[in-house]
Amino acid sequence: MSIFTNRDGSRDGHHKPAGYSAFDLFRRGLLGTQWPRAWRSHDLKPSYDVVIVGGGVHGLATAYYLAANHGITDVAVLEKGYIGGGASGRNTAIIRSNYLTPEGTRFYDRSVKLYETLAADLNFNVMFSQRGHLTLAHSDSALRTSRWRAEVNKLQGVDSEVIGPEEIKKLVPYLDTSEHARYPILGALYHPPGGIIRHDAVVWGYARGADAHGAHIHQNTEVLGIEVANGRVRGVRTNRGDVAAPVVVNCTAGWSSLISEMAGVKLPITTFPLQAAVTEPVRPFLEAVIVSGTLHVYVSQTDRGELVFGASVDPFPSYSMRGSLEFTEGLAGHVLELMPSLAKLRVLRQWAGLCDMTPDFAPIMGITPVEGFYVDVGWGTYGFKAGPVSGETMAQLIATGKTPPLIAAFDLARFAEGRLVGEKGAASVGH
Amino acid sequence: MRSATVQTRMPMRLGPQPGEVIDRHRPFTFTWNGERYPAFAGDTIISALAASGERVFSRSFKYHRPRGLLTASFLDPGCVVQVNDEPNVRGSHRRVEPGMIVSAQNAWPSLRFDAKSVNRFLGRFLPPGFYYKTFIKPQRLWPAYEKVLQRFAAGGRTFPDSPHGYYDKRYAHPDIVVAGGGPAGMAAAVAAAEAGARVILVEEEYELGGHLRWGSEDELGALRELRDEVARTPGIEVLTNSVVNGRYDGNWVAILQRNLPHVEERLIKARAKVLVVAPGLIERPYVFRGNDLPGVILSTAARRLINLFAVKPGERAVVLTANADGDAAVADLERAGVEVARVEDARRGGDIIGARGRNGVRMVECGDGSRVECDLLVTATGWTAPTSLLNMAGDRPVYNPTAARFFPSRPSDDVLATGGISGDGSLDELLAHARATGQEAARRALKVGSALRAGVPRRVDVEEPPDMPPIEIPELPVVEHPELFQGRTDGIVDFSEDISSKDIVAAAKEGYDSVELMKRYTTATMGPTQGKLETVNAVAILARATGKTIEETGTTVWRPPYAPITLGALAGRNFEPVRYSPMQPWHERHGANPMVAGAWIRPEHYGDPESEARNVRENVGLIDVTPLGKLDLRGPDVPKLLNLLYVNQWNTLEVGKVRYGVMCAEDGVVLDDGVTGRLGPEHYLMTTTTSGAATVWEWIESWLQTEHPDWQVHVTPVTDAYASINIAGPKSRELLLRVAGDVDLSPEAFPYMNVRTGTVAGVEGCFMWRIGFTGELSYEVHVPAAYGLYVWEKLMDRGADLGVKPFGIQAQRILRLEKGHLIVGQDTDGLTGAYSAGLSWAIKLYKEDFIGKPELSWQSECDNSFQLVGLQPHDGSVVPPEASQIVEGENEIAGRITSSCMSPTLGRSICLGFVAPHLAEPGTSVTVLLPNGERTTARVMEYLAHFDPKGERQRG
Repeated sequence: MSIFTNRDGSRDGHHKPAGYSAFDLFRRGLLGTQWPRAWRSHDLKPSYDVVIVGGGVHGLATAYYLAANHGITDVAVLEKGYIGGGASGRNTAIIRSNYLTPEGTRFYDRSVKLYETLAADLNFNVMFSQRGHLTLAHSDSALRTSRWRAEVNKLQGVDSEVIGPEEIKKLVPYLDTSEHARYPILGALYHPPGGIIRHDAVVWGYARGADAHGAHIHQNTEVLGIEVANGRVRGVRTNRGDVAAPVVVNCTAGWSSLISEMAGVKLPITTFPLQAAVTEPVRPFLEAVIVSGTLHVYVSQTDRGELVFGASVDPFPSYSMRGSLEFTEGLAGHVLELMPSLAKLRVLRQWAGLCDMTPDFAPIMGITPVEGFYVDVGWGTYGFKAGPVSGETMAQLIATGKTPPLIAAFDLARFAEGRLVGEKGAASVGH
Repeated sequence: MRSATVQTRMPMRLGPQPGEVIDRHRPFTFTWNGERYPAFAGDTIISALAASGERVFSRSFKYHRPRGLLTASFLDPGCVVQVNDEPNVRGSHRRVEPGMIVSAQNAWPSLRFDAKSVNRFLGRFLPPGFYYKTFIKPQRLWPAYEKVLQRFAAGGRTFPDSPHGYYDKRYAHPDIVVAGGGPAGMAAAVAAAEAGARVILVEEEYELGGHLRWGSEDELGALRELRDEVARTPGIEVLTNSVVNGRYDGNWVAILQRNLPHVEERLIKARAKVLVVAPGLIERPYVFRGNDLPGVILSTAARRLINLFAVKPGERAVVLTANADGDAAVADLERAGVEVARVEDARRGGDIIGARGRNGVRMVECGDGSRVECDLLVTATGWTAPTSLLNMAGDRPVYNPTAARFFPSRPSDDVLATGGISGDGSLDELLAHARATGQEAARRALKVGSALRAGVPRRVDVEEPPDMPPIEIPELPVVEHPELFQGRTDGIVDFSEDISSKDIVAAAKEGYDSVELMKRYTTATMGPTQGKLETVNAVAILARATGKTIEETGTTVWRPPYAPITLGALAGRNFEPVRYSPMQPWHERHGANPMVAGAWIRPEHYGDPESEARNVRENVGLIDVTPLGKLDLRGPDVPKLLNLLYVNQWNTLEVGKVRYGVMCAEDGVVLDDGVTGRLGPEHYLMTTTTSGAATVWEWIESWLQTEHPDWQVHVTPVTDAYASINIAGPKSRELLLRVAGDVDLSPEAFPYMNVRTGTVAGVEGCFMWRIGFTGELSYEVHVPAAYGLYVWEKLMDRGADLGVKPFGIQAQRILRLEKGHLIVGQDTDGLTGAYSAGLSWAIKLYKEDFIGKPELSWQSECDNSFQLVGLQPHDGSVVPPEASQIVEGENEIAGRITSSCMSPTLGRSICLGFVAPHLAEPGTSVTVLLPNGERTTARVMEYLAHFDPKGERQRG
């Protein structure tokens, strides 16, 4: 079956973007020439081979890998606002692969591997900073879970070990590792390849890459309905007109259950807000990413000097992206619990993003009962980490019609067949 | 560094000014960059330095250009300094104190000579987002590049040993919060209080008055009058040096209070019935070449310096004015003895093309091309309305081209606006608007108040105020103002982030052409001022670059907090108290080793856990189990609730019986377990795990409140109302007999899994149940907490000849592992279903409904998950550490050890663990991979219990 008109053959849309490098910066600086657009804007065509709903990291990565790995370039990414404006631009940009289940560990490990070469692959510096990731254990049960994760990780070839308070203090001198802390730090799961990344850059890099291969990125284009006939998807209706497409992919995270319902596909997903905050910049003092499950907090310092922190999802479902006062109060208390000398550091801004949570804290990826309608959803609090591998595997599934083994466990049918994955232990608080 | 020198005179200090806030009778010195400087009480850090003639206070973020003062207010982007160990102090706001040690941030090696200022010559090679375009290859060098980038991080220093400081919080329940203590805020507060409302009036600066403070004689007179009115009107609480920091749902208002002695900052949380927003207007900088040079200041900054601090801002000035405030600044400058060399009136085509100088303005190029030498350039080009509090209430501001600023668009019931944010007009017009707003706010607040009171039963009927008709709020005029954002040249738009108009245009041309993308790409408006100075200019420049209008372009969303707030103030005091049982003094006297268990501190052991365990098997032991969660359940529908929560059957539980129950979540995963007993026909007591106590309570309440509000059940957490003691061991009955008053303890009268209420050691209202976590004959006695220590000591005393000894958590864990009892959270985890935990005997799928039933029904048919089994290493001297993996072949995970110990009773190592279903058959030998890489083998046992699998001892 060839529903893909442009496959490998005619690549009219393809263009080579202006290269990014220190030399080009110097040359253009000298000549004073303007950089070209990172991605172009287009008229909305009446039909595409593939329509991807959602212009975040998942949607754009899928578009990029469809073109780059499979030569499918007649692709539209539809974004109701601006690209990367949803969870892709609201997460705390932590990358790691020290998950608990072998499936999860393998999947996220592939993502870390893709992130490691992403800057070069996309010719766009995504500033992946592998500065180490510490999951603190404040109780003997947390320490036991850390050991468990370390053992599973080691068996999957993921660099991960349990370290004691002295080593922790060496890595992060600001941490209160004394026994007198309210929740003493008994140890930590140390994951050296973990780190942080410039999340917007990942979005823009994929957008630029997808655009270079001929994909169309349509911002301010909201999907209002999905056309289905005889169990097959036919296209989408948008605020800019109708688009026919044999393949529609739902990559809309927080709104994914609403979008799927347009195609008549019900998802076992509930949307919860997750809040985050950032402080004023100070001189670099915190190298590693710090996570504390007991205190429900994760902290890192950006290259700009700001401290970024986040919590677990709000305790009630909502589509609200306003932050709450109680959240910042609790978070500040927990940050000071860990690093009491930061009391005079000031919070500059707080915000919230939306998390599409599944019952087993694992994503839903793959086919649906509606032929041609694919989902890449249920990303909860761990979607950004999985951006590259999700794009790669979803593209492979769409192009080949075969579910890649890496995501076989994440199919929608598992909820009807009783095969939950269960990453709750490591994913719910384990940023 | 010339640390010994002291600046003794203040060359730029003027004679006394009518509205000055400094106290010339209280001079002192402080330290700036290692040198001592004079100041008067009331000076800000920067006003004192400016009085001494200093003009450069920081280096800019990216190009390390010298920066001076711009706004002379909290927002002043170039005046952020380090004070002692406190980073990022707003030097134009913070009052200087005697002996204060202040230093410049972001300058190396010194403010005068900054090595990184070479960046300004590299500017053309460092366009916005340059870091996205370089350092890409080779990949391995990126970490090194990153270190270089990090060196450019702006901001002050933190120290790992800074003291935490004292912070607390306050809750307030005013009728009205007025945000902003300028003339409008003051008038609104007075009017509201006169109408009977209780008002909190919040002002960001150190005194009330807003722009009247630097005004004319008449305005100063009006200010005195307004301040008097505020002072004599009862019902107004004034908070100066405080900020309304956020408005959250339900008018939950966060106020940051900074004016308390001995407290750094305090967070006040106010449930306001109405919020009145009166923040005034923020003066907007103008964008042109050289607009960030020290000596280029806003008209309000000039007027603040002269009138509040008696500081002459320069010697020879050029003024660009587009409004009356700029004109007034000209008059102020002349009065202060500044030579005003040129006034460019923008209303008549006047403009500034650029400013030049190295470390400060030397020369200004005016609109007609002429050049004027000067050391001061004052601009008055318009205003930004700080609409953030209204944004937080759902308002989206709308641009008005006539006034060249944004206005609120959507009126709401509980948030009103007044003052400059609502319109222009004379002082009288503003005050009339503010008074009407205050009265209307009071009317609405009092109405909400009576509605709230209507639901509260009262002994005496209080007469409620009659319903008043709405107060009509007059419209404020909108005065025409030229749209001035950027002149003919490029200049700095975001002073904190060092972003120029060129950068914004470049970003737009590269495709980052919506306001949010531009913001994220250039980082404009993301710095410490959070857009209050620069948003409108940035939007205007972006609009022009994209050929759209300002209205089409829109603004970014302003989020809380309004002003940066310390982590200390947000956190307040730590309200996570450590919990101890009433028996803690006894434990401490008897050498208990403390252990943190969630919120509790518990005895881990009393020196020798193995002998403690043996004593339980041989004689009798006491363990303090007070932290067990306890919930008192009452009402006719309790059985329905229990049947919903637990996977097992609860309809048949008779009075006097207890039953073990397992709770699952909707996904069939084991959530908690515990014993629940029926004390009376409609009275039950549920126990939960220690760590699950709070979760289970929330879980129950959430099901009752959201799914079954009609059920008649009352749930009361009573965990710390009772001290709980487990008496375990073959001699436990004998011991309890000696203290139990009225309860028949004979095995026939009080069998296993029963509960009795009665007197213990003379203490009434105790209940005890016969259960067996340790596998021995045992009684769990729950005593009113106040008598816990007494009863414990009594038991110890009366049991001395029976060999009674305390035992801690560690001994209990050994005992229960010998007995094969699982611990939820240790032997189960976030993905363990009830079947795989070996709890199939408890699951009653025939029940009509219970939480987790659909999922467990699946699992009952096709469960292929790992099974919890008892395991014994073939080599009984090897204790595989918990979390050791059970593997097959090379590295295929086929299970893991969840619990392990050396059994003192059996004299060999024992384990619980998960194995793959095909390995679960008793007698199977499995390979255990130890964390040190070695392998050992273990045998799968028939029972989870390694000791007394038939349970004869506990039933005895």
